[in-house]
Amino acid sequence: MQETKINHKEWYVPIAFILCFGWLAWHFPFFTLDFLTPEDPSLFEQLSAQMMRNDITPNLPGLFGGYTDIVDWTALIAMPILFIIGVLTVERARMETEIWRPLDRVAVFIGRVTMVLISALTTVMIYEVFLRYVVEAPTLWANELSLWIAGFVFLCSGLYAMQQRSHIRIFILYDILPRGLQKLCDSISTLLIVVFAFFLFYGGYGEAFTKFYRWETFGTAFDPPIPATLKPAILILVAMVAIQAVINLVSDWNLEPVKHSAADDIDQDEIEALKRSVGSN
Amino acid sequence: MDIGTISLVLLLGLFFLLAIGMPLGLASAILAVLVLVMKFEPALLSNPLSFGCPDWYTEANPGARCTLTGRPGAGALNILQQKIYGLLTDYVLISVPLFIFMASLLEKSGIAKDMYASLNVWLSRTRGGIAIVTSIMAVIMAAMSGIIGGEVVLLGLIALPQMLKLGYNQNLAIGTICASGSLGTMIPPSIVLIMYGLITETSIKALFTAAFLPGFMLASFFIIYIIVRTQLRPEDAPLPDPAPGEPEGSEKSILFATFLTILVAGFSSVLFLRVLFFTVTGQNADLGDTVEPIVWGTPDYVIWFAAWTGIALLLLFFAFGVARAKLAWSMGKGLVPPIVVIGVVLGSIYGGITGITEAAGMGAVAVLIIATLRGEASFELIWDSLMRTMKSTGTIIWVTIGAAALAGAYTIAGGPRFVADMIVGSEMPTMFVLLSMMFILLIMGAFMDWVGIVLLIIPVFLPIVMRLPIEEIGVFGQLEPRHLATWFGVLFCMNMQVSFLSPPFGPAAFYLKSVAPPHISLTDIFKGFLPFIGIQLVALAVLLMWPSIVTVLL
Repeated sequence: MQETKINHKEWYVPIAFILCFGWLAWHFPFFTLDFLTPEDPSLFEQLSAQMMRNDITPNLPGLFGGYTDIVDWTALIAMPILFIIGVLTVERARMETEIWRPLDRVAVFIGRVTMVLISALTTVMIYEVFLRYVVEAPTLWANELSLWIAGFVFLCSGLYAMQQRSHIRIFILYDILPRGLQKLCDSISTLLIVVFAFFLFYGGYGEAFTKFYRWETFGTAFDPPIPATLKPAILILVAMVAIQAVINLVSDWNLEPVKHSAADDIDQDEIEALKRSVGSN
Repeated sequence: MDIGTISLVLLLGLFFLLAIGMPLGLASAILAVLVLVMKFEPALLSNPLSFGCPDWYTEANPGARCTLTGRPGAGALNILQQKIYGLLTDYVLISVPLFIFMASLLEKSGIAKDMYASLNVWLSRTRGGIAIVTSIMAVIMAAMSGIIGGEVVLLGLIALPQMLKLGYNQNLAIGTICASGSLGTMIPPSIVLIMYGLITETSIKALFTAAFLPGFMLASFFIIYIIVRTQLRPEDAPLPDPAPGEPEGSEKSILFATFLTILVAGFSSVLFLRVLFFTVTGQNADLGDTVEPIVWGTPDYVIWFAAWTGIALLLLFFAFGVARAKLAWSMGKGLVPPIVVIGVVLGSIYGGITGITEAAGMGAVAVLIIATLRGEASFELIWDSLMRTMKSTGTIIWVTIGAAALAGAYTIAGGPRFVADMIVGSEMPTMFVLLSMMFILLIMGAFMDWVGIVLLIIPVFLPIVMRLPIEEIGVFGQLEPRHLATWFGVLFCMNMQVSFLSPPFGPAAFYLKSVAPPHISLTDIFKGFLPFIGIQLVALAVLLMWPSIVTVLL
């Protein structure tokens, strides 16, 4: 197995992507105000008042005669570009599955973003503990920010786990089936995952869209738009998981059957790393 | 459709989907959809084309109302999204990735290896020393993190070669490693208990406290077994040749006392500085009865900790001597980082400083700082740990997501109530109900990961237990109703201990197999488990007969 060198550069694109995404997650309603101006005056009033409070750069003039300023536009344009760069440049690291198709890159890049988010989550939490108990000046935002980040971590790590084939499955019967039947089983489960994603979307898009459009917030002092961002994210990520399931089905179609056991959770690369750290060879 | 049929279809569907190897979380998710369809719009199953009530369908069936698919973007199907959202925004759930992060940092650093060396120094001349060291080390690691796979692997890498080299009985060596390595779920902080608390809305802190005593009981049973066995059959555990220059007999005890004194000096001075800081900044001023006083942080503790530090320092300088103190420190210093980490995590939870979630974050950072001090922190260490964290989080959380959706749908359909009515109505003896539940848990434990059991089976079992006549639970002592859910959680955890080791699918065996020398087969490994499974069953029986053991510390 080829030892993949881990490069610091792997962090830059995900971090830049998170910055753009974070900016948009805070400022997106300006675009709503500009381009999908609510008909209902009270909603318009409420949204614009809320955004005036939240504007990080209140002194920048809006572009094109609207509310959106230069930073908003930069973030909006940079985010997809960074995403594409990230997807194109991401490399397989050790401990990762060797099944690696061009389409898998999307999930792996999102995995890299999630790794950065986990470090951000830990940092925010420690910062808050430090401020609360040492300086005695607790923040209003840290708890809710960690809640917000964690929501995305939970969703995205599932997509990554799907690509890595590490979701919990029970192989006792599956392993003794002939390969042809295994393919049938895989097809059934993939079909059912797609059906679930469809029903979830069918039942949930109304609420998700409304919350996003009205930019519903958490209703606290810091007031992050958790419902507005997380509810659509659930639908999108579940849809992506369903797509990934289809990609997996196609990728794994011609694989040789393997025997599974509980030890599959532990990767050979990982055991090698552990052996090095305890110095047993 | 009535709930009896729905439950039956659900059960069969679950077996079918798991048998064909569908991911557990997504299988529960699609079953949630199925339950909703059966409850609200069974016509969809017989005639999928009626989806959304098209005109031809309403004309042919006047009065047909598609309660589920008739209102896109809303209606009962929306419960799926709401349940998932509710789960994702649960603050306690954040502790799961943080604890996993901490555990993987811990595994990948050399902390465990040094701890092993330090423990071994003190017990190397004791019969069965390495086996005892392995058990103690497993308990300490269990108190630092709450994951079993990594622990068994790590002990298998560190302790197994040593024991085999010394000529220990292979079965004893294997059994000790796997049985002790599985303790991670019993001794707080434990992810199994966190998930149990989350799904049953039981206080996680209470669960941790309750599991403490049974966990330690089990660990001490293991150690007693090792001591008795090696005393009866010394050939099972040969003593190593004494290393040249190694302190012997009473000198070693004195050194150990010296080391303990150093620890006391260190910790009491830290606590002294802490309480001094509180006093100087005035944070611990008496605020009356409404505010809980800071644990060990009120001004009167300043004197106490100062005294402790002083006595310990006096002992070190004048009774034991500086040279001996230096030697003792070099022998035992590998134990310090684990104790610090345990102090940070459990101290934060029980000292009332932070909640479980922040304690997990602090633990992760504490491990990272220690690794940095040891010169091990590297970009790769963090990268690998983050990757392992993300993978494990993804698998655990997505089972939770699916199960939350299923639980939501099944509750709307009236499922848990129906099942509880059925069991309670059948008037079976309480002990019989409990024993059959435990039997099912043991069987399921062989097939399914603990995450699946906690999320899919516990929500059905717990309502039944809650309605059993409480005075019939246990033989000695009376359990209070408010502790029932906590007790059942600990009982469940103890069951999981057994299922980790049970042939033919006990995961611990596979974890060990992946790092054991090739000549040790799976059958050998399971053979080594047998006495330890017996011990676990004894501990299980204690928990069942004397349920109030969980409330001793509560």
